[in-house]
Amino acid sequence: MFVELAPPVTAPVGHGSSTGPAGPGPVVHTARPARVRRLLHAVVPYLYVAPALVLLVVWTYRPLVQTAQLSFYSWNLLPTSPAVPVGLANYERLFELPDLGDSVGRTVVLILALLPFSIVVPVLVGLLTREVRGRAAVVYQAMVFAPMLVAPVASAAVWQWLLDPGSGVVNRVLGTSTNWLNDSSTAQLAIIVITGWHVLGFAVLIVSAGLAGINGDYADAAAVDGATRSQITRRITLPLLSPTLVFLALMTVLLSAQWTFPLIDTMTQGGPADATTNIYYLLWDYSFRSFDAGLGAAAGMVLLVGFGAVATALVWLSDRLTFHDN
Amino acid sequence: MRGHAVLAVLGVLCVFPIYWLYATALRRPEDVYSQNPLPWPMSLLNVVDAAAKVDVVGLMVNTTAVALLTALGQLLTALLAAYAFAAWRFPFQRLLYLAFIGTWLVPFQVTMLPNYSLLLQLGLLNTLAGVVVPNLCSALGVLLLRQHLDSFPKELLEASAMDGRSSWTTLWTVVVPNVRPALAALSILLFINAWNEYFWPAMVLQRSNAVIQLGLRSFMGTEGNDWGPLMALAGLACLPIFALYLVLQRHIVHAFVRSGLK
Repeated sequence: MFVELAPPVTAPVGHGSSTGPAGPGPVVHTARPARVRRLLHAVVPYLYVAPALVLLVVWTYRPLVQTAQLSFYSWNLLPTSPAVPVGLANYERLFELPDLGDSVGRTVVLILALLPFSIVVPVLVGLLTREVRGRAAVVYQAMVFAPMLVAPVASAAVWQWLLDPGSGVVNRVLGTSTNWLNDSSTAQLAIIVITGWHVLGFAVLIVSAGLAGINGDYADAAAVDGATRSQITRRITLPLLSPTLVFLALMTVLLSAQWTFPLIDTMTQGGPADATTNIYYLLWDYSFRSFDAGLGAAAGMVLLVGFGAVATALVWLSDRLTFHDN
Repeated sequence: MRGHAVLAVLGVLCVFPIYWLYATALRRPEDVYSQNPLPWPMSLLNVVDAAAKVDVVGLMVNTTAVALLTALGQLLTALLAAYAFAAWRFPFQRLLYLAFIGTWLVPFQVTMLPNYSLLLQLGLLNTLAGVVVPNLCSALGVLLLRQHLDSFPKELLEASAMDGRSSWTTLWTVVVPNVRPALAALSILLFINAWNEYFWPAMVLQRSNAVIQLGLRSFMGTEGNDWGPLMALAGLACLPIFALYLVLQRHIVHAFVRSGLK
């Protein structure tokens, strides 16, 4: 779904001295043997990709392989102490401990609870507000979008203030004295709402862009045939919007735990009583608080396989179920 | 009217925490616990208080440097890679492109430990360079620019090649001037991301006085209930981004929307 190959292009040829490592001067290319020229020609695109690719290999794929290796070792992160090979012991421990299952469960709850913010409300808002245009639309857009720009740590600070048990606005308005972030029954809810506040405006924009991209002729034709507004929405608009919806779902699944990390780290540190420890926070906890690098690496590998499976399923679904307006 | 009502309610809900952040920051220190919706009389004493406790100017300078260097580096590497993907067809092209997309499946937390030890070996731990270098490639940047360059008229590339210009010259004299709006939008997006980044700086920099997000966090830990200065510092941490947004609103929104649509 992500990859579309470019149509065939007659490549611009790298003649100049700046592209080929062997280019001795700017105007000598006619003298260069044809074979060397062809070779240079073939190498050129790789030279352009190289800087990004090298960074990718060094900072993403190399560490990924190392993490995979590390998951078969026991190591406490100290440079002076050797890593001891332990075979599959880390994975065995991981599946025996309740932590992994619990944190995966909390991650699933988190993702499901975020879907209303990233899909349901944005679609409702998008459908209800299609006729709003012009200057007013720009102002509304700016307002719902603003939270996306707030730095996570700053949003942690202001929400801590809003949720303050004694003098926070939330308790004053609700007339309660709940200690939202220090109560294991409400801490996860608080994290969900704050994350939802961050992503809602972004999702609204994406949905609005998706709706704006739908050709109005279909709805007009259906209306001429006597379809009602809700029929048009259900049978035409939503199916045509489905690629956008699948994209938002994919993003929620892949990024939600990532979005919540700074909030959890600054507000609850995974607590109280692990109530906000999701899978990402567990990884962090194993490696940098319990200094159990092998266990952290093993958990990382399990997570990677899990997310790979979910993403593959969603891409497959989107290819099967979505309609494209070609 | 219904649309206006829905959007107005949603907009107010979204903006309220931001409003309250600045309202608290601008109250007089003795009024911090006031629930008066208008911060009146206003005062900058909270800002002064925050500035006395942390080096606000130093934090801002460091954060700006890190964010600018990260964004520029990402823009450059993404431009070169996206140009290659859009202008040529070459063996393993699809595979290489998938390697970029595939990074989205690799959460940061999975690679952090080896990256941390590599920075240690390179002697970049605790340096601003250590924050920037591992982030110089943005898969999102490659993806977005490639989409733009794919729709770039190939005839122009061919014409440029026939004029005898090298691909390098073509990139800078033909392609870049024509996709300047896309480059501008992407660079703003990358800058905002880099400015707001928390996770990696928190790992690399032990000093809490290095970038604004960490300075803010250290403030939260030690003086969690000193709401006035805390809100002032949080407000300052967001101020450059909000200022940028107010000036360049349309471009920023477009950049985000495009980043969302494949």
